[in-house]
Amino acid sequence: MTDPYEVLQIPGTATDEEVKKAYRELARKYHPDNYHDNPLADLAQEKMKEINAAYDAIQKERSGRGAGGAQQSYGGYQYQQRQASSGSPAFQRVRMAINRNDLGMAEQLLRQMDDHNGEWNFLMGIICYRRGWVDEARRYYQTACQMDPGNLEYRQTLNYVENNREGYRPEGYDVYSTGCGGDNLCGRLACFYLMCNLCSFGGMRFFCC
Amino acid sequence: MFGYVRPAAGRLDEADKRRFGAAYCGLCRTLGDRYGLAARFILNYDFTFLAILLWPEGGEEEARRRPCIAHPVRGRASFPGNDALSLAADQSVILAWWQIQDALADPGGGKGKYRAAAAALGSAYRRARELRPSFDRAARTHLERLRALERAGCPSLDEPADAFARLLAGAAEEVGDPVKRRVLEQLLYHLGRWVYLVDAADDLAEDFAAGSYNPLLCRFALESGVLTEEAREALSVSLDHSIRLMGAAFELWDFGRWSPILRATIYEGLFRVGAAVLEGTFQADDAAFRIAGRNKEHL
Repeated sequence: MTDPYEVLQIPGTATDEEVKKAYRELARKYHPDNYHDNPLADLAQEKMKEINAAYDAIQKERSGRGAGGAQQSYGGYQYQQRQASSGSPAFQRVRMAINRNDLGMAEQLLRQMDDHNGEWNFLMGIICYRRGWVDEARRYYQTACQMDPGNLEYRQTLNYVENNREGYRPEGYDVYSTGCGGDNLCGRLACFYLMCNLCSFGGMRFFCC
Repeated sequence: MFGYVRPAAGRLDEADKRRFGAAYCGLCRTLGDRYGLAARFILNYDFTFLAILLWPEGGEEEARRRPCIAHPVRGRASFPGNDALSLAADQSVILAWWQIQDALADPGGGKGKYRAAAAALGSAYRRARELRPSFDRAARTHLERLRALERAGCPSLDEPADAFARLLAGAAEEVGDPVKRRVLEQLLYHLGRWVYLVDAADDLAEDFAAGSYNPLLCRFALESGVLTEEAREALSVSLDHSIRLMGAAFELWDFGRWSPILRATIYEGLFRVGAAVLEGTFQADDAAFRIAGRNKEHL
């Protein structure tokens, strides 16, 4: 097995607090929120498994030699599996194709449908987003929300696109947005405040800012 | 490309500034060695970024100070040639050539400088095409698609941006490691989107005045060469997401000693350049955006 300290990028002499800090930084980096509907989510999931295993191994080793405060890794995160909604079997087939990352098939199935309801627009949005077509994804999500304002999944996904624009930032890097440019301190602070408040998605985000 | 992709200078220590400068000068030297003096004028930060992404893993190379045409007395430190610099040089020539062809095919006058550039770069392009036939075919295909979308007045931001993004993602096709290739394809795809959209914003006023196609004019039905508040917000959502997705890809591969430079580009440099372009204050030669004194004037 790979040296767990190497995986967490710390020396074997690191204190418990340093181990925890290194683990948190890596967990923040590879958190599923940062790879939501991302074609590289499988690689992030592998990384997360590695760091969870490394953290658990260090905790086990240290609790064995009497170090206190052992904690388990976060573990169990979900990467980009979309649940079959309560929609029709036709929409469930589209979601299954999206889960297989067969976006061509998913789009083809949607194009064959006549009823472009909220679910249809939402799923078109997901296909666009996975292709990196953010502007069109956002427009489909907005239409889905207008057609079905009470749907939490649509609302959360639109919030994610509109407000979680920063994703992971390495330690020491400020929150930045292209729309909040310049060196005007007030503008930057207002932008920072806005993004801090809005960068939650489905209650999953942690260590925000 | 266009020179928008650069690290935030304030994030780099002196060693990283020297390393970036040595890669920039190394690419300039490689362009000169492979294609002659004229090709050195297509050098910019974007292609340096591409070379850094493609840089081979392994031991630390030593940058050597050598005189060059721009610095005949004191010289500049540059990395010796390697596969990444050769690949970036070849792809730079091919991209520059097709962009010149694209400009020549545009209706309207003022083609003198493009004709001169095409004449100067013709033999370099033919050599690069022989060396990288697959990238040349892809560049031609994607730029033809882009041109067709522009002729049709495509009202989507994402569709023309996709054509340019795919073209850039193709630069990763020769990367041997399958994981690194996937990471770079994503990173370069979103870099290509970002470059295309930032360039569209940079050219907006000029395109509006000339009556030329610009995806922002069509997408937001603009009635002037200035973005409305709503259009600016929508565009910045797209630009921020592309940078975020570049960052997500970047974190999945260990770029070793180049990591600080790439981090300073992805997590700050691109935001700063994008914000300046949207505010209309971006100047490619502005000292605020210059790294270690490197710029076109030094060629």
